[in-house]
Amino acid sequence: MSFSDSDSIPSILEPDRSSVKPPILEVRGLRKTYISADQELTVLHDIDFALPSGDTCAIIGPSGSGKTTLLGLCAGLDDASAGSVLLDGQPLESLDQDERAALRNRLVGFVFQNFQLIPTLTAIENVLIPLELRGETGRGKDAAEILAQVGLSKRLHHYPLQLSGGEQQRVALARAFIHRPKILFADEPTGNLDAETSEPIVEMLFRLNREAGTALVLVTHDPGLAARAGRVIKMKAGTILSEN
Amino acid sequence: MSANSVSKPLPKRILPALFHPWTWRMAWRDSRSQRARLIIFASAIVAGIASLVAIHSLRGSMQTGIETQAKSLLGSDLMLSSRQPISENDATTVSSLATQSSREISFSSMLYFPTADAARLVQVRGVEAGYPFYGKVETTPPGAWNRLQSESGILLEAALLDQFGAKVGDRVKLGSLELPILGVIDQPAPRTGRFGAFSPEACIRFADLDRTGLLETASLSSHYLHLKLPPQTNAELLKKSFRERFSEKPWRFETPEDRRENLGDALDNLQQFLGIIALASLVLGAIGVAGAVHSHVSRRLSTVAILRCLGASGPLAFAVYLVQVIALGICGAALGALIGIAMQTGLLALFRDRFPFEIAIAPEWWIVAQTTAAGLAVCCGFALLPLLKIRDISPAMTLRGGATLGGISKSFRAWIVYSLLTGLLVLLALLNDSDWKRSLVLVGGLIFAFGLLLGVARALVFTTRKIVKPSWPYLLRQGISNLHRPQNQTLLFLLSLGLGTFLLVTILLSGNLLNQRLSLGQFSESPNIYLIDVQPDQLDGVTRLLKEQNLPALESAPMITMRIESVRGIPVREYEKQNGVPRWIARREFRSTYRDFLNPTETLVAGEWKMPKATPGEPVSLSLEEEIANDLDIRIGDEITLDVQGISLPAKVSSIRKVDWSRFNLNFFMVFAPGVLEYAPGFHVVTSRLPEGTSSGDLQRELVKQFPNVSAIDLTLILETVREILEQISAVVSVLAGFTVLAGIPILIGTLLNGRDLRTRESVLLRTLGASSKQVRTILLIEYATLGCLSALTGLILASAANAGLAIFVFKASPWPDPVLLTAAFIITTGLSILGGLLLSRGVSNHPPLSILRSGV
Repeated sequence: MSFSDSDSIPSILEPDRSSVKPPILEVRGLRKTYISADQELTVLHDIDFALPSGDTCAIIGPSGSGKTTLLGLCAGLDDASAGSVLLDGQPLESLDQDERAALRNRLVGFVFQNFQLIPTLTAIENVLIPLELRGETGRGKDAAEILAQVGLSKRLHHYPLQLSGGEQQRVALARAFIHRPKILFADEPTGNLDAETSEPIVEMLFRLNREAGTALVLVTHDPGLAARAGRVIKMKAGTILSEN
Repeated sequence: MSANSVSKPLPKRILPALFHPWTWRMAWRDSRSQRARLIIFASAIVAGIASLVAIHSLRGSMQTGIETQAKSLLGSDLMLSSRQPISENDATTVSSLATQSSREISFSSMLYFPTADAARLVQVRGVEAGYPFYGKVETTPPGAWNRLQSESGILLEAALLDQFGAKVGDRVKLGSLELPILGVIDQPAPRTGRFGAFSPEACIRFADLDRTGLLETASLSSHYLHLKLPPQTNAELLKKSFRERFSEKPWRFETPEDRRENLGDALDNLQQFLGIIALASLVLGAIGVAGAVHSHVSRRLSTVAILRCLGASGPLAFAVYLVQVIALGICGAALGALIGIAMQTGLLALFRDRFPFEIAIAPEWWIVAQTTAAGLAVCCGFALLPLLKIRDISPAMTLRGGATLGGISKSFRAWIVYSLLTGLLVLLALLNDSDWKRSLVLVGGLIFAFGLLLGVARALVFTTRKIVKPSWPYLLRQGISNLHRPQNQTLLFLLSLGLGTFLLVTILLSGNLLNQRLSLGQFSESPNIYLIDVQPDQLDGVTRLLKEQNLPALESAPMITMRIESVRGIPVREYEKQNGVPRWIARREFRSTYRDFLNPTETLVAGEWKMPKATPGEPVSLSLEEEIANDLDIRIGDEITLDVQGISLPAKVSSIRKVDWSRFNLNFFMVFAPGVLEYAPGFHVVTSRLPEGTSSGDLQRELVKQFPNVSAIDLTLILETVREILEQISAVVSVLAGFTVLAGIPILIGTLLNGRDLRTRESVLLRTLGASSKQVRTILLIEYATLGCLSALTGLILASAANAGLAIFVFKASPWPDPVLLTAAFIITTGLSILGGLLLSRGVSNHPPLSILRSGV
């Protein structure tokens, strides 16, 4: 794979030396309850943990254990029923939806199991979206550069439907890192890929994490992938079973 | 960050976001893979605006045509009439505001036919060149009316020539002047009264009047000044100002509006119908657009969720799609306007010969601009309803997927939009019909229909959830269960198709109501000849004569002339000043009758129809016509004293009647109880009907022989004019009602687009799992047939209720809807729904499942 040929750290991914080092993510007494057919269903019970800046953490557990729900709450994609999530010291519950969106744009990168590329945008346009939402223009060169880093220099103007699953996920990775997020949430990043395609993606995820100093929160079923994280949170039935 | 990068935060509020280049860029990019779909969405706007523009432009063209035709009943914009000569000075003053004026003097005189050595009382009309300004005088040979302006001569009615065996070219003698007969009047210049003179017409040159030497001797001449006003002049306002300015003059002013009584309520009813049709076509287009936008936004859910996840604010994401709607709306509206213009001019060109009035084949630009703007505003307003839901799309959808756009939004913002849309609709209804009560009722009816359809949809979801049993055959169970399962299309389908059916059928039914009201068929029963001055002892003889001529004696009524002496004890001259009653009304000569029954053309609007035989010393019961009662400011119970040829007759108003003057039956402003007027000097009027295309010559000849005092007034010509106008109103109604069906196209497109993606995906999954095309078709057939059937049924029930309301309160016609129309509407609506389902299944069967699954539908 061509993207692994790169030896040097791309300038746009250099860690921000000026950043402070308090925990980038703090979760306190987090609970999520759904009301369905007049019944309460609690999918997360009083979750507490914290993640220092630049660290990596994998959340594992069986289906229905609340991993993705936890990830969504940590990223401010959903509202908690109780408890608090602090992202870079900012309590998410005190922010409205638009303020959370602005915070995500500033601090967070995402990689999804089903890639979540915008089908009507080309690869380079998809990568540029987080920057454009900040109002930054003239960053096409940076986007092309990071796409080249992930081995897609010849696929800049292809639409998602014209790319393979692995290529789509690499575009998603480039998009996740283009705006130098402080934390990256990855939901089953290799869940839709075979082992051969997965490996370079995982390599790149961790390399970018190291080189850019971005904290990484991974939700996965894959014990091998989880083992590469600095810390593993094991969940079951909405609670943290163990933390290694 | 690169050296050449520029950072300027994107706006967070909706208004700045709308004008930010990124919003437009993103809207453009987002449209890339959706172009075909957006074209379908735009086609909803195109069809909506095209039908709107065409309907309103046609309405404008035809209304102009009809109004011009209605003017032909008077022949001018304003007519001044007087029993006394109008001085040169006065004529110049009054004419100064007109672009053209024409004088006329009319009086009764004997006309001598040397060939028959006989004379006949005729109504002489000396008309100055130019008149009539509207409508035309038709003669045999053609052009005789124009010749009359340049040379001496006379034009006579065909019946008169028949009666005396005279022909064109013969000479007749009028006073001291001998004149050649230049031609026969087939269609006369508008008459100044219905049967003001009980004799046939004879037209001569205005310049020849003096030479007859009759003006000095004719004691009862009438003087007229016909005015043609500049196009933008309001004749009604001018009439009012003339009345005030010349209040001391015994003048009467008339406008075409005053002649509308001849058309009954036809024009008013047409206005009301056009108001309904205009509003309904607007709402039809808007519902279609809302459906199409809902469908479009439903497909963009994941994109919106990703944008939100990556940091786009709610207003920014909303702005991207609003920009798409506005841009497409403007393009669609422009194209729709062009198509609408083409349709209007095309239709006019096609049907031009069928309209009995001059109609210009040109776009009504002001109406086009106004309608396009209104259509665009309403369409974009309705599109806001689905667009608003973009703000509610959660970024968490990126993790879970499967979310759908909700049904009816209940957020605070949505309520603001609902209120704005209601206000906009009321405003547009008011623009179409100035009666605010009727406008509110129309919009209220729409809201009620919306609410009812909502209720029916919820009831359907609830019922199907309860009734479906596992024991049912799979295909039936699947088809019915689709109606209540998550992401069902029941609510939106019923709302759009049900409302569409309701509006379209209401328009078609109202068209029927109006045509029923015009009831042209009744014209074949209307009298077209009046026999005047029949003495009581001649009544049987005249009836027998009619029978011998194979003509029916339709009606017979005694007629007594009288004037008002006092009202509520106040002498009429004083009353006229006190109450501001126009002089010509208060002091006119009333031709009244007595009877104890109501005619079919009369409706009681106040009081009771009590006509007991008068008892000596008590005021006699009197029934007044509605308009004259209003003009005289007289109410039930008021006493009026009438001067019946020198004898005072006290009367008490016991009832007020509305009279349909368009039927030409024997109707009177004043109807008295029997028992008093039988002995007053008067005569009878007998009406009959000549078969179409025949002349009254034979009858007139026999009348002269047997009853020389009896005059026959042939009303065929004026009756034909009125009939033509009513016919064209009926044609307009039929064309416009049929045309509005086009406005239903966007509804159909919008409805079928909604839910298409989900059903396609489900069907493809079923196909993947081994379902045959037939099985997929059956499931879709059951779902779409149920939805179509229920939408049609609810729409038709609502339309029938609306029809009953309109029939009773507006058109005064039978409230029962046409069962054939209802059945046809039911079959067509359900059929179209089923066809939509089948087309969907065909699309699924014709494509490999993988290509559809991969396309991300």
